[in-house]
This record gives sequence, C-alpha cells and structure tokens, in this order.
Amino acid sequence: MNIFVLMKRTFDTEEKVQIKDNSIVEDGVEFIINPYDEYAIEEAIRIRDEVGGEVTVVTVGPEEAEKELRTALAMGADKAILINPEGLKADENTIANLLVAVLKDKQFDLLLGGNLSVDNGAGQVAVRVAEMLDIPQVTTITKLELDGTQAVVERDVEGDTEVIQVNLPAMFTAQQGLNEPRYPSLPGIMKAKKKPLEKLTPADLGLSEEQLVAHTETLSYHPPAAREAGRIMEGDLDQQVKDLVRLLREEAKVL
Amino acid sequence: MNFSLTEEQEMVQKTVREFVQNELIPLEQEMLRNDREGKIPITDEKIKELQLKAKEMGFWGINTPEEYGGANLGPILTTLINIELGKTIVPFTFGGDADNILYYCNEEQKKKYLIPVINGEKECCFALTEPGAGSDARNIKMSAEKDGDHYVLNGEKIFISRAHKADFAMVFAVTDKEKRGRGGVTCFLVDREMGWRTEPIHTMDDWIVSSVIFENVRVPEENILGELGRGFELALSWITMGRIKIGAWSVGTAERLLEMAIEQANSRVAFGKPIGEYQAIQWMIADSAVEIEAAKWQVLYAAYLAEKGVDDNRQTASMAKLYAANMVNRVVDRVLQIHGGMGITKEFPIERWYRTVRKYRIFEGTDEILRRTIARNLLKGYVKIGEIK
Repeated sequence: MNIFVLMKRTFDTEEKVQIKDNSIVEDGVEFIINPYDEYAIEEAIRIRDEVGGEVTVVTVGPEEAEKELRTALAMGADKAILINPEGLKADENTIANLLVAVLKDKQFDLLLGGNLSVDNGAGQVAVRVAEMLDIPQVTTITKLELDGTQAVVERDVEGDTEVIQVNLPAMFTAQQGLNEPRYPSLPGIMKAKKKPLEKLTPADLGLSEEQLVAHTETLSYHPPAAREAGRIMEGDLDQQVKDLVRLLREEAKVL
Repeated sequence: MNFSLTEEQEMVQKTVREFVQNELIPLEQEMLRNDREGKIPITDEKIKELQLKAKEMGFWGINTPEEYGGANLGPILTTLINIELGKTIVPFTFGGDADNILYYCNEEQKKKYLIPVINGEKECCFALTEPGAGSDARNIKMSAEKDGDHYVLNGEKIFISRAHKADFAMVFAVTDKEKRGRGGVTCFLVDREMGWRTEPIHTMDDWIVSSVIFENVRVPEENILGELGRGFELALSWITMGRIKIGAWSVGTAERLLEMAIEQANSRVAFGKPIGEYQAIQWMIADSAVEIEAAKWQVLYAAYLAEKGVDDNRQTASMAKLYAANMVNRVVDRVLQIHGGMGITKEFPIERWYRTVRKYRIFEGTDEILRRTIARNLLKGYVKIGEIK
C-alpha cells in the first residue's frame, strides 16, 4: 500500500498569537505538526505496519518545515517531500496546485490529511487536491478500515456517524478520535536523519504562474475582542428576568 | 563555538518534554491528594507501568549499551532528558538501565545480576556509606574475612537508597585492613537471601533510605565484583555518574518552578495590580532566571566534557552540581514566597519540591566535599583557571 500524507507545520497550540504590522509574529514561536495531520500520519503508519507498503509525508512550507518532516520520519514514516514555495504568496489554491504537481505522477493507493489546520482552519487543501486528482474524498473520518481495493470509513457528522464505502485510491481527512498518535521513538529519532527527504521548489515542478497565483488575499489580522467580566443580576427573580431580557435586547442585541 | 542542539537532540528533548507534559504532570494532582490523605503518593507499580509505556516508544535503557538492547545515549542527551524529567514531581526515570559498575560483572555474574537489572526483573542498591564514613568513604569499616571459599561480612551501611526493596546489594567491605581505601576495599554482590537485613529510615520527602545490617553474612568468593582490593575505584566511578544528573534535575525543577511563578505573578492581583508589576516580585523572577541560565550552561558544559572524556578530576561536574543544587534551593524558596499562603499548602507541588531539593545539597557529594574537590584541584594546579575545552 502506497500512502501519501499531507502535512502542515503549524503554530504550537500552546503559543500565544501576536499580531504586529498586520502579520503574525513568528519569532521565537514553537512549531509543531498540525495535530490533525498527526492523526493522519499515525493512521498511515498503522496501515503500513499492518499491510506493508510505504508512507511518504509531503508538506508545502518553509525550509524550517524539515524539522516537522523529520519528526514524522521519527514516528515511522519512510520518506518525506518538502516543497518550499520560497516567498511565493501562497493560498490554499497555490498549495493544492503544488501538491498535485508532486502527486500526479506518483503511484498511490491512499491519501491522508488532517481535517483542517489549527492555524488558518480553512480545511480546503486536502479537498482541493482530491478534486484536482479526480479521486473520491471523505472528510473528518474517525475510523478507517481497508477491504481489498475499497475502504470503509466512519465519518463524524455533528454527533452522528456516517459509514461510507469508498473505492481506492481515495483521500481521507482525519478528525480527532481517529487514533492516538504515537511519540517519536528513540531509535526512530536516531534513524530519522538517514531517511530520504526530497526538497523541491515551484521551479522544479513546472507550474505556470497562473497556477501559482493566490486567489485570495488576507487584508488584515485582528485578535478576537477580549472577554469582559460577567455581570451578576440583582434584585428579586422577577426583576432579574426583566433586566436580563432588556439587556439581551438592548445591549447584546440578540433578541 | 556552537550552543545549538542537533536535530536529534532537539527531537529527543521535545519528545521527552511531551511525555512529561502528557503522561506525568497529569498525575501530580493525584500524587498530592494521596500525600494529603497519608497514602503513598505514587506506587512503584504505577512507575513501572509508565516505564513500560515509555518502552513502547523506544525510551528504554537510555544508558545501556546497544548489545544489551539499550540506546546507549551519551552524557549530553542523557542530561537533556534529565532536565525534562526534573520538571515534574513524579519520580520517574526511564527503565532498562543498570548501575554503571555492574558492567564489570564477569559472564556468570552478568546472567545473574546485570541482565535481570536491565530487564527490570531484579533491583539492586549501592551500599558504601557507613555511620562513620560518608564523604570520607575511604574510612569504611565493614569487614570481609576470608573463610575457605567464602567471605564473611560484618558491619552496617547507612542511608542506602533502594535497599528496602533490593534483591541484591553492591557492598563495599574491607578485605585488607592494612591497605583499606588504598587497595584494601572490595565490592561484593550480595543477595538478600545471603542474610542482610534493612531498616528503613524516612526522610523529609518520600525518599526512603535504609540502614543495612550485616551479621556474619557469608558471600561466595565468585561474588566479588571486579577485582579483589579494587572496590574503591568502582565506588568512585559510580559516584561521579550522579553529579551531572543532580545538576540536570535541579535545572529542570527550577525551570518549572519559574514558570509557575510567572503564572502566579501575572494572575494574582494585590492592591489593584498583578503582583508581577511590583519590583519585589520582578527581582525574584529575574534573579531566578539568571541563575537557572547559569546553572543550565554549567551542567550542559559538564555533560559536554564528560562526553568528550576530558573533565579533569571532575572539576566541571563538581562545580555544576554545587551551583545547580544551591540554585534550585534558592529558586524554590523565592517561588514559594511569590505564591504566599498557597505556596506552603499541599495543594501545590511547591512545598514538596522545597523538601525534595534540599537533599540535592547532601547526596552524591555534599556542598562541602564538592568545594573541597574544587579547591584542591585549583590549589594543587590540577586544573587551569579560565581554560575552555
């Protein structure tokens, strides 16, 4: 089974997001493998260990993303590919095009990714890649079972579970609950450096300028409004209810 | 000069950090609750379970040679790991390691002692200190009289860690009364069944030490570890191992404490302002940060020299342990002060650490013996001032 996993390097969820000059400050920030992608990597490794084959982790990101790729290799992935857009203004469309340019010539049975990335939360890249490769896709899966040339997946639908049978090759995106990602093992860490890691640039992939142009533009970043202290209603119960309704209508404007 | 970590070092550090964060720190509340209720804070079984979980991720036998299934990490990686492990009150170490001197076992002894220790099937203790001989270990009195193909051991050892649950002891006894610490001390591997007994001594934290009593304990000749009369060299090499480790734990503990102090300083409001805006608190935080940084680099430098094998007379390791152990005692005191009333409660791990880190100035070389080593190395010219290796 040849498996490719799409991975993104993201902000550590413990980090505080700071905005300066209309961009997010990255100095001194810890980065991690996007947690949803970690589920995808774990699933890929488990499947490979069970049925054999190879796991390749692919990312679009800066030079530093090599670190997260090495972590995936230390977890047990076999190969990694780093596509560095080198200062290109990249949105989900650009990234999907870069990934497709790499994947279209590869032999694959299964593509996995995270449901979304915890930084931008767009949840678009994997879906776009599947569309462009013209293969089936199911998002937010919580269970994956292989059955010959088919897969049976369970999908989280707002508290209910949808069971879907899909022909391979297909793309699935991981939701929390799919598995419990492993820690990189000590022998794995020691071996990670020796595993193959291919580095590519847009120039290597022969993409036209048009394909690489971002279709969206971020105009500004702003933090959500700071949470204010709550208010405790006073008076007897009738009075409190009256006050609350009035405040909901006049101040909160939700009624 | 290069102060950065290699990719592997960084990944190991990050992995252990996550392990501590996800698997160990969540157990702290339960440990504190058990402690308040007078129960054992965390059982040996629980620690073993955690070690097996770590084993699954290949963290096992980190200092054990590869031929015995270990990872054989050097002093630098070991120190980075120990710094992370110092960040929790959970007394966890990775399993699968044996005391360094057990590698002096002969083939027969290896099967009986070394391998079972690596596999976690047997526990052992290191019995050197006596009521009348601690830092001056050359003065030990325990006698080992030859009787046929056996030695008969008589005497008492004290403050022996792990003795209450050990299956065998590495015991240092005098086989030549003339030579004593200069060629007359031998190390014996002594099974509990051979007849030694222990009396536990409770200390100011959970650390249990024991006095170990030998009354006519007969030990077969083949249980000599290493060579007859060469026990003191073994004892020294065992002791040295611990110095950098205590320094590393001190740094890790102090870093976690400082994090707690910063959180408290930002969130606790007094007289209308977070207490972190008062200079008294700021200075405590600043001093702690500066001292932690100094200790961290001293400890890492000692590890680096140990890795290169060039720490003359253990000068750097002694300095690192002395400074770091004292540093963490100052830091825990300040951090407890910053927490005020909360700091002395058993709801928080601070008072516990306050008791735990005090022993770092005592065991594996007291402050005084370390200063003696450091000064003598300088006075006798064994170490050059200002040299960077």
